[in-house]
Amino acid sequence: MIRLDNVTKVYEGGTVAANDVSLDIQKGEFVFLVGASGSGKSTLIRLMLRDEPVTRGKIWVAGKDITTLPKWKIPYLRRSVGTVFQDYKLLPNKTVRENVAFALEVLGRPQSVIGPQVDQVLELVSLADKAARYPRQLSGGEQQRVSVARSFVNRPPILLCDEPTGNLDPKTSVGIMKLLDRINRTGTTIVMATHDHAIVDAMRRRVVALEGGRVVRDDETGGYEAVRAAPAAVFVGGETEEE
Amino acid sequence: MSRILFLLKEAMISLRRNILIVVGAILAVFISLSLALGALVVNEILRLNTVAWQQGVHVIAFLNDEGGSGVPIGAHDQLLQEVMGWEEVESAFYFDKTQAWEEYQELFAGQQELLDISPTILPASIRIELVDIELHSSVRFRLEQQTASVRQVATAAESIEQLQSLSNVLNVLGLGMAIVLGVAAVVLIANTIRLAIYARRDEVSIMKLVGASNWFIRVPFLLEGMIEGLVGAALAVFAVWVGTSNLAKAGEDFALFRLEVSQQFFFRWGFLFLVFGALAGVIGSMLGLSKYLRDADGTGPDVPTGF
Repeated sequence: MIRLDNVTKVYEGGTVAANDVSLDIQKGEFVFLVGASGSGKSTLIRLMLRDEPVTRGKIWVAGKDITTLPKWKIPYLRRSVGTVFQDYKLLPNKTVRENVAFALEVLGRPQSVIGPQVDQVLELVSLADKAARYPRQLSGGEQQRVSVARSFVNRPPILLCDEPTGNLDPKTSVGIMKLLDRINRTGTTIVMATHDHAIVDAMRRRVVALEGGRVVRDDETGGYEAVRAAPAAVFVGGETEEE
Repeated sequence: MSRILFLLKEAMISLRRNILIVVGAILAVFISLSLALGALVVNEILRLNTVAWQQGVHVIAFLNDEGGSGVPIGAHDQLLQEVMGWEEVESAFYFDKTQAWEEYQELFAGQQELLDISPTILPASIRIELVDIELHSSVRFRLEQQTASVRQVATAAESIEQLQSLSNVLNVLGLGMAIVLGVAAVVLIANTIRLAIYARRDEVSIMKLVGASNWFIRVPFLLEGMIEGLVGAALAVFAVWVGTSNLAKAGEDFALFRLEVSQQFFFRWGFLFLVFGALAGVIGSMLGLSKYLRDADGTGPDVPTGF
């Protein structure tokens, strides 16, 4: 589903954010990108989204080489890749429903399609009863669930998450992870950058560890640290417990 | 259809959200186009009036009566034939004493003290239309040589020339003003759109994230600029039309100078100004958009930072 071949990204000023990274992510996988701040996690997410051009190497997303993708085709790539960020990126002047519907409206979907799809995804994130509220009237966890709903409403095959639990307390983070796990079980490939030890250790999914822009570890079912023993997978298959 | 409605809705939301800036841009377009159209109207009024003069009589030679003061019978007709043969003269006709009296009565109708004269004192005249108004001095000189027949020579040519040069100056001024103010309107709209983009940078960023095409992002801003330009131009055309209509009514008493401009003139120029307003809006929007949306594959100013 996603393949990186010897990808290097050097920012202006000479900072090397990704150094000869090669990865192969299969359809339906849940992959954690872990590492300290500055290790290159967010850069990899942005490269996969073609938010930044690579300096060297190739990236294939859903079978297409996105490093040579013409600019006008980038929006089409992004329609097949949902994104969730730490700061939610919600529009404060739109309600929950309008924020989620916005993702379909900009794609030109008719209202007859938008209405049912938005209802369905709001049910999935357990926010159907708060559809008329504005982001400022929601907790951080609820705002992040709106963000997940918006990224998934178009049913993209890939979800890229950059520190989605970074602003949330541990209990709320559990709720978001359960939601992402449910989405992953529908066959959606999820790549999540995080430095949350507890989540990574609990989920027992594939872990790609980065250090100074290099892949230093790629475990099929690993923990945050290579030698750290992982507790039981409490999130898998669970229901959302948050609020 | 839903896409068009969505784009229109987004444009209207943006207009409403930045209402003060939008009003400023509309006023800028309104003022600049009003001045430009006003200059055109003044120019048109001058043109109409000079055309009226130019199509009329340019030179009048008042004649001494035949049969007296050494003017033989038939001298008037002889002079008319001679004048009609001059190359500067387009046409000429004889205006006898009876016609002169009728004209006099018409000109001073209602002013009894002026009409209380003997009709015989009004002279006959030869009225001349020139090939080119600039030739008036040469014709005047030639007529003044006919000292026996010609009593006095009158010409409106100097006034016409002055009006023509004023008209030329106004033409240049009007064109210059239209260009400068038109550019100012475009720049102001560009600035408004930049502010609108800044105000909506989060939305633009999210639109890019969810895969909206660049044109889809641009269209609401282009519509916004077009609406600003159109409204400003429509207000300008309306204001100048109202102003000119009132001027024409006020000028109905001036028999010698027409202040009226045809409806056709307003339809033609009004339409062109509306098109110009809309175009200025679109061009301004494109200029405003170019800086912020040039990087088509970035997610705008709100992208996540750090790595």
